[in-house]
Amino acid sequence: MSEENSLLKALGDTVMSRRSFLKWSTALGGAAVLSSDLNLGLKKIDAAVAAAAAEGKWIPAACWHNCGGRCPIRANVADGVVIRVKTDDTHPDSPDYPQQRACLRGRSQRMQVLAADRIKYPMKRKNWEPGGGKKELRGKDEWVRISWDEALDIVASETKRIKDKYGNKAIYCPGGGEIQRTLSLAGGYVSNYGSTSRGAWRLGQEPLTGTTAQVEMNDRFDLQNSKLIVMWGNNPAWSSMGLATYNFLQAKRAGAKFIFVDPFYSPTASIMADEWIPIRPATDTTMLLAMAYVMITEDSATNKLIDWDFLNRCTVGFDKDHMPEGANPKENFKDYVLGVSDGKPKTPEWAARICGVPAEKIRSFALEVARTKPAAMLYGWNSARLEKSQHMCFAVVSVGAMTGNMGIPGGAFGISCHNAASNGGPALVSLGSSGVASIANPLAADPRLCSSEHWEAIVSGKYTAGKGPKKDINIQMIYHGGSSKLNQTNNVNKGIAAHRKVEFVVTHQYGLNSNAKYSDLVLPVTTQWERYSNFQSGNRELVVWASRVIQPLFEAKDDIWIAAEVGKRLGLDVTKIVPMSEEQQAFNTVAGTKVIKTDGSAMENLVTITEADIAEMKVTGKPQTGRITLKEFREQGFYAVPRKAGDKLGYIHNQKFREDPVKNPLKTKSGKLQLHSQVLADLVTNAGWNQGYPIAIYDPPTEGYEATFADWDKQVKGTYPLQLCNIHYPRRSHSVLDNVTWLREAWPQELMINPLDAESRGVKHGDTVRIFNKHGSVLRRIFVTPRARPGVVFLGEGAWPEMDEAGNDIAGATNTLSGDYPSGPDIESWQGCVVQVEKWNGKPLEADYKWSQRIVFKEA
Amino acid sequence: MNIREWALIAFTILAQMSVGSFIVLGIVHFFAARKAGSEESDRLSDRALLAIGPTLLLGLAASLLHLGNPFNAYLAVSNLGSSWLSWEVLSGVLFAAVGGVFALMQWRKFASFAIRNIIAVVAAAVGLVLVYSMSNVYMLRTQPAWNTVLTPISFYTTTLLLGVLAMGAAFVANYAYVQLKNPGCADVQCVLLRDALRWFAITSIVLLGVELVVVPLQIANVAAGTTYAAQASAELYGQNGLLLGVRLALVFLGAGILGVFIYQNALSAGHEKVMGALAYAAFALVLVSEVLGRFLFYATHARIGL
Amino acid sequence: MAKRMAFYFDSSACVGCKTCQVTCKDKNNLPLGVRWRRVLEYSGGSWVPQGDQMIPNNVFGYTVSLACNHCEKPICVEVCPTQAMHKRDDGVVLIDAEKCIGCRYCDWACPYGAPQFNEISGKMTKCNFCEDLLAKGENPACVDACPVRALNYGDIGELRSKLGTVSAIEPLPEADLTFPSLVITPNRHAQFSGKGTGKILDLTEEEV
Repeated sequence: MSEENSLLKALGDTVMSRRSFLKWSTALGGAAVLSSDLNLGLKKIDAAVAAAAAEGKWIPAACWHNCGGRCPIRANVADGVVIRVKTDDTHPDSPDYPQQRACLRGRSQRMQVLAADRIKYPMKRKNWEPGGGKKELRGKDEWVRISWDEALDIVASETKRIKDKYGNKAIYCPGGGEIQRTLSLAGGYVSNYGSTSRGAWRLGQEPLTGTTAQVEMNDRFDLQNSKLIVMWGNNPAWSSMGLATYNFLQAKRAGAKFIFVDPFYSPTASIMADEWIPIRPATDTTMLLAMAYVMITEDSATNKLIDWDFLNRCTVGFDKDHMPEGANPKENFKDYVLGVSDGKPKTPEWAARICGVPAEKIRSFALEVARTKPAAMLYGWNSARLEKSQHMCFAVVSVGAMTGNMGIPGGAFGISCHNAASNGGPALVSLGSSGVASIANPLAADPRLCSSEHWEAIVSGKYTAGKGPKKDINIQMIYHGGSSKLNQTNNVNKGIAAHRKVEFVVTHQYGLNSNAKYSDLVLPVTTQWERYSNFQSGNRELVVWASRVIQPLFEAKDDIWIAAEVGKRLGLDVTKIVPMSEEQQAFNTVAGTKVIKTDGSAMENLVTITEADIAEMKVTGKPQTGRITLKEFREQGFYAVPRKAGDKLGYIHNQKFREDPVKNPLKTKSGKLQLHSQVLADLVTNAGWNQGYPIAIYDPPTEGYEATFADWDKQVKGTYPLQLCNIHYPRRSHSVLDNVTWLREAWPQELMINPLDAESRGVKHGDTVRIFNKHGSVLRRIFVTPRARPGVVFLGEGAWPEMDEAGNDIAGATNTLSGDYPSGPDIESWQGCVVQVEKWNGKPLEADYKWSQRIVFKEA
Repeated sequence: MNIREWALIAFTILAQMSVGSFIVLGIVHFFAARKAGSEESDRLSDRALLAIGPTLLLGLAASLLHLGNPFNAYLAVSNLGSSWLSWEVLSGVLFAAVGGVFALMQWRKFASFAIRNIIAVVAAAVGLVLVYSMSNVYMLRTQPAWNTVLTPISFYTTTLLLGVLAMGAAFVANYAYVQLKNPGCADVQCVLLRDALRWFAITSIVLLGVELVVVPLQIANVAAGTTYAAQASAELYGQNGLLLGVRLALVFLGAGILGVFIYQNALSAGHEKVMGALAYAAFALVLVSEVLGRFLFYATHARIGL
Repeated sequence: MAKRMAFYFDSSACVGCKTCQVTCKDKNNLPLGVRWRRVLEYSGGSWVPQGDQMIPNNVFGYTVSLACNHCEKPICVEVCPTQAMHKRDDGVVLIDAEKCIGCRYCDWACPYGAPQFNEISGKMTKCNFCEDLLAKGENPACVDACPVRALNYGDIGELRSKLGTVSAIEPLPEADLTFPSLVITPNRHAQFSGKGTGKILDLTEEEV
């Protein structure tokens, strides 16, 4: 017996009884892949299957999470068993036309989809009764397996009961497209709003630059024209996996200087940074204002620091002579910076005290940025994932505009993040529409709950709906059709209280994530590997068409099936919920997929479709000609636009605008860059939480650096003297994949802390500490590294909270610590967070990968 | 430490004690025979000889527990060309075999005294090779804490120290048994016993001196090392300081102080009971100390690299 | 001269994402705790006061992706008592599972921690250079996985002539212990083995 076989046999014996194993096998069509108590996923596979495995079929598989990468992966399937995963190897790899390689998360997908902790059957909480039943046990109760019929009947009857008793405004459905169709038909539901991830860069940036797309930089090839690239809070190695880091490396190799502004000496910095400016979190605006101060005060005819031509032609609001129509001339950026309007000049010395960068460094950095042309100042989203952070957007645009780095090769200022990280410009290939029209939610306009206020609204019964007093709301049902709101929005403890307050909580999930854990009823859904098709668009050069890899596991069903079944029970018109087959939707998407012509002039069909294709897919449609056959697209599973240096597919952001801003206006009120925007100020004011202001000012968040002091003037530190910086972490895509054992082994969810801060607390590398503030308390092991700025601790976002009996979250979710401070339209506070760290004298934490998985039912 | 590491401690200690006992027994037997004739000499040592076999077999059995796949253990002699572990296994098995043959012959008095002696010498030589191989197993160029001449010195010291004290205890037990069965010959045996124990006491005090030099040198060796591994070992010694202190105190008490008392009580007849009790106690204390010492040997090593 | 297989690692590009590690586990079905390829972080430096600010003083960090180095003088082969550990003509060091007795002596000896014990099979396992893929003319899985193209492989002679002869940067041991078949492009922060000022910082590494 070979080593592998004895290993597999050992597993089969220890993990499952013969009977359950056989049942498992049946579910997979003769063979199975499973995880075990040993946290070890493996397949049952005898020598013959192993031999066949080498020749297994590669099926395009989805990697569908919201990381921005959405890379192609392919699963090797032999006899219904997934043997292995690989990524793009369809053409020779080169920096110009690189293979679209998936990261460790895509590579671990087998351990998520085929894991022992999949939710296997519909289940309800043991103490659940209509109306709730011991609601305080949510998250702690035992689970009882039930039939699909019983589960669907419960959903329908509770929906009806709550609707009849409290009205549709009592139903909160913060995520999940399919069930929202049903709920919309059933009279509507309270929806959720908020940018969640993009912070102020979405609605806050739009009035200033006119862009809502994530495109504020040039094409990746153009990075190589930059002399200086400033990476501000920007660590693509962790936050934008896929090609971003590789693209930046090409710029580095082409000779660009890289300066990183970041409280952490990030992995990206470690390979690229020529200089590191370790700034404090949540203070970026002060440094930008001080940089503006240096440029304004030192600019002269002989020392040209400001691109006056660009400012004058392309912007409004810089000084009192260039104000937008109707604006108060005193509210101009320059006068605020110089202190004319408030008596406080925004000097480097002023900023240094707050942001922690020495004044002299701020000055020299400002001069370097101003003098190096062309330069790209590229920001991650993190710097404006902060209360009142529209001012960060204002400051970025204002300082950027002063340098004139827009519309020119090598020049840019703005975001480089998510799927547009390192690679700006309109999509070169884009998917068609599935043809399924959305169903309007009758309650779409109001009430809506903000991600930073929804738990508070549920608990207190009041929500903010614009200026004026809060309005009443009485949520009695939470329907998690998707997403991971309990994990991924502020203040998990308040979120748990909200979940324990309402009468009914139901979740569709394939793993026992936080939403599911705190529910009354959990409905097992299929992953994208078990569905007919999955489409994704990644960076601007990539679209993905993934196919079904395996049949649905256990009793998992597609979300749309659940939506239809619930609809049926509510007496709704199911054909509206499911207007067409999944084959037809896939066909429509593929037929509508467009790719740029090689000369860059226009888009054309990507796919050639024949009558035979249409017949084979059993859909209605018309034949068409395109670049590749439908079979090629389906079998390869993705299409990446071939690129080479100097091709016609490059992009310089706002080039035409710069050439002639009058003829080619931006989609802003003035058609120019708005350094002053009353629209944004009004948006903020009208959102109801804060007074908006039409230019960049520094307005510290509730839990910013200043909040680490008991007495700011005397510089006396307070109860929570450390800033927690909440970062993207390679173990997960947000909350997804946190349960994957291989990823837990690779990334232990450690708290990163500077040696000085560790020493002063008497803790050393590997120790367990308690990190706490007024919102919650978490336990984690520490990773002591000088790469962390003193005074700041770092923790990856997205861990699944695991509350111990004392209320400590031993998994270390950042939202157990982040406060809920709504501050404007979509401007949410993931970043401002102050904490204390102390030695934990209880039992030290074991490494996460050794924890038992959240397996509810072991036996088939 | 898990069961597998304890298996190694058990194996190395028991095997070394067996080798040491065998050699000590041979020497005692040689001198006792010259003094009192081979019959009395046999009476002194034959029963003790029979205790060595099971001890060694226990050690060899323990070594199997260390293996992930003990069924293939026989393959472990396949690499005599470059693996000291192969030599260790081979010499361990050979020692058991030759020693076993000798024990059988000695017990049944097969063949002549001279032939038996030759076989005994061969067995002792194989035993010394075994301890040498054992030391070399640890003298890896990637293990600075082990890769020093101090490893064989300490292994041989342990071998002889446990050898004399184990045999001391065995002789005492044998004497009690002989007296019970056959009170008539107790006088000669008593003399032989006291002679042996005096020498054992002297030997153990000398070996204690060696240990008291070797242990600090082992620490100095890693403390002076430049590699991270050596530094890590030095740190591990620091973390295990208490255990090290206990180990040294026990060996000092057992081999040193009790050694002196044994010597004094062995000078004249009439103190056999006290002397016997002291011999048991000395063996027990030193055995515990050596087990702790071996535990520390494994607990303080660190490999160069990753 | 016969080919001798070697890995190439570009520490100037590696961001330590561990895609190689996970890819290796997927390709080779490795249980938890066994990582034929793993990634280590080496970092150091300090912070010093300047006025009322704290300033980083030579703070650095870089990562090293490491599998078996299929050494020229593999100490694992040298010490293995059963000859289960052996070196193929093309330089690939392999374990014959039929012969392995799980004594873990190779683990004590190898300065790279390449041979790792599989608790379930009771035997040692290690990187086999994806011998099955090599036989099919494909690349080792880790090489094709790296998002920043920091891994490659080939004949040691060719790699050295093209990419230099560095094979020992911290935290790796000095090369003269086993003469690894490894070519490294050092990170600009890299310190040569034996002369480092930093530390390995990896909680998982301490765990295993």
